[in-house]
Amino acid sequence: MKILRQGYAQFMFYSLLSVAVLGLAGCGGSSSNSNSNNNPTPSTADNTQAVEVNSGPANNYVNGIFTTVTICVPGSSTCQDIPNVLVDSGSEGLRLLSSAVTLQLPTITDNSSNTLQECVGFADGSYVWGPVASADVQMAGEKASSVPIQLISASATYPAPNTCVNGGTNDNTISALGANGILGIGNFQQDCGANCAATPPPTQDPYYLCSNSGCQVATVPVQYQLQNPVWMFPQNNNGVLISLPSVPDTGAPSASGSLIFGIGTQSDNAVGSAQVYTTDASGNFQSVYNGVSYSSSYIDSGSNAIYFLDATTLGISDCTNYPGWYCPGSTLSYTVTNTGLNGVSNNLTFNIADANSLLSANNGQNWAFNNLGGDSGTGQSTDYFDFGLPFFYGRKVFVGIENMTGPNGVVGPYWAY
Amino acid sequence: MKILLSLVFALLLASVPGWAVLGEYANSVTTDQQHMRAQLTETVRQGYSVKELRSADGKTIREYVSPAGLVFGVSWHSPFMPDLQQLLGSYYGRLQQAAQTQRRRRGPLVIRTKDFVLFSGGHMRSFEGAAYVPNLLPANVSAEVVR
Repeated sequence: MKILRQGYAQFMFYSLLSVAVLGLAGCGGSSSNSNSNNNPTPSTADNTQAVEVNSGPANNYVNGIFTTVTICVPGSSTCQDIPNVLVDSGSEGLRLLSSAVTLQLPTITDNSSNTLQECVGFADGSYVWGPVASADVQMAGEKASSVPIQLISASATYPAPNTCVNGGTNDNTISALGANGILGIGNFQQDCGANCAATPPPTQDPYYLCSNSGCQVATVPVQYQLQNPVWMFPQNNNGVLISLPSVPDTGAPSASGSLIFGIGTQSDNAVGSAQVYTTDASGNFQSVYNGVSYSSSYIDSGSNAIYFLDATTLGISDCTNYPGWYCPGSTLSYTVTNTGLNGVSNNLTFNIADANSLLSANNGQNWAFNNLGGDSGTGQSTDYFDFGLPFFYGRKVFVGIENMTGPNGVVGPYWAY
Repeated sequence: MKILLSLVFALLLASVPGWAVLGEYANSVTTDQQHMRAQLTETVRQGYSVKELRSADGKTIREYVSPAGLVFGVSWHSPFMPDLQQLLGSYYGRLQQAAQTQRRRRGPLVIRTKDFVLFSGGHMRSFEGAAYVPNLLPANVSAEVVR
């Protein structure tokens, strides 16, 4: 039993409401393996999870990459397959529509029956809100035990906090989210990390404890935050490899590939000739285009285009029908130099085709495009490169997790491609 | 096995006096500073000033103020999305509108109209964005300063 007691009088907008010892009711044991900083060890587990790019369960998703995740009541063989979960290298944690989950999963509560809830806003103005529950998470032959996941509320027991909602769309239905959930397998172990474990919690804390009298922001130890399930696997846990085939320049109705767990841990996930680019503490690296450096660049399978610079800076047109996507008329080629924090630097070339033409090809039934692009910002001083799903076709992209050791001693966060 | 979880509650005061918001007078930055538990830095530049609020949790909010005292631009860099309703004030509805009409895009949000410009981008642990009101830009000040 641990009692925390500290004074917070110096923080004008916070007061200590309660000091509590909290139990996770009815939940199985946690498996906090200390895997960090071990060298990858050879293993032979089935580490290959099928993924597919298609229009998704709402039949309108451009460049959405989906997989099926199996969740189980912790420590039991009572399980459910959740299909059509978006594979997102730009976030951490498994978030599932509660409407898609029939299992009764234990939620995380304190000893006053306040439930732990999370509200996460995304850059596009949408948000997800709902309780944190505990589940065993299985993919291929890998299983992570008692993983805190989020159940996105269909009809919320508690109203979502205004500070998080931001007026955007509540992504709590298949039609709004375009998926049954989001599988966040990005560069970090938790979605928030030490920031949300600090007292007082950060000013933009996504975690809340809720009761009938309302919700309050909460300090949450890292092990109860949403976890990237990959680092909780017993093996092949230092990152993932996303491997998608090439698609024609006019697009394809679908594309089948693999989400392979581990980096350099088995014969099927060797880095090979891929170059390793370490990132800053936020997961970003530098891209130089036309002599200008853009320092907040990143790779994100959950972005459905290559969002880079802006139409004015590039001197091309935005689409009329699709504001924020590029419609250059004919296909253009761009070369950018990406540089990791480790100094590794290489050119990368990609094409941008006319989004109107792409989306009307094949009677609008193509969904996988390697050359869809759009604005990242509104001016050169704030622009950056967001290498979304088009970047992934025809190459192997490795996502190295923080504090986990990869090939040749590299420690995450890093990318390799 | 029973898992013990220790959480410390923190109560955010229900009502926080108004922030300095886009398009309004910058008379409440001290309140923002207290709300964010942030360090405030003010820098006077040629034709405008910047009030920067930087908090220990990695969030930075910048408010760009014209000589007349109006906030003509705001920007944010934050591990999680900031409260844009507070930052954008009356322009908040424009964000709502764009979020609805750009649903096929899954990525950054970009609004570029004559009277309001905004982008909201980044990813979990590294969100960033900026917004400005072109009509409120001080003379001889480029919109590129809002970053």
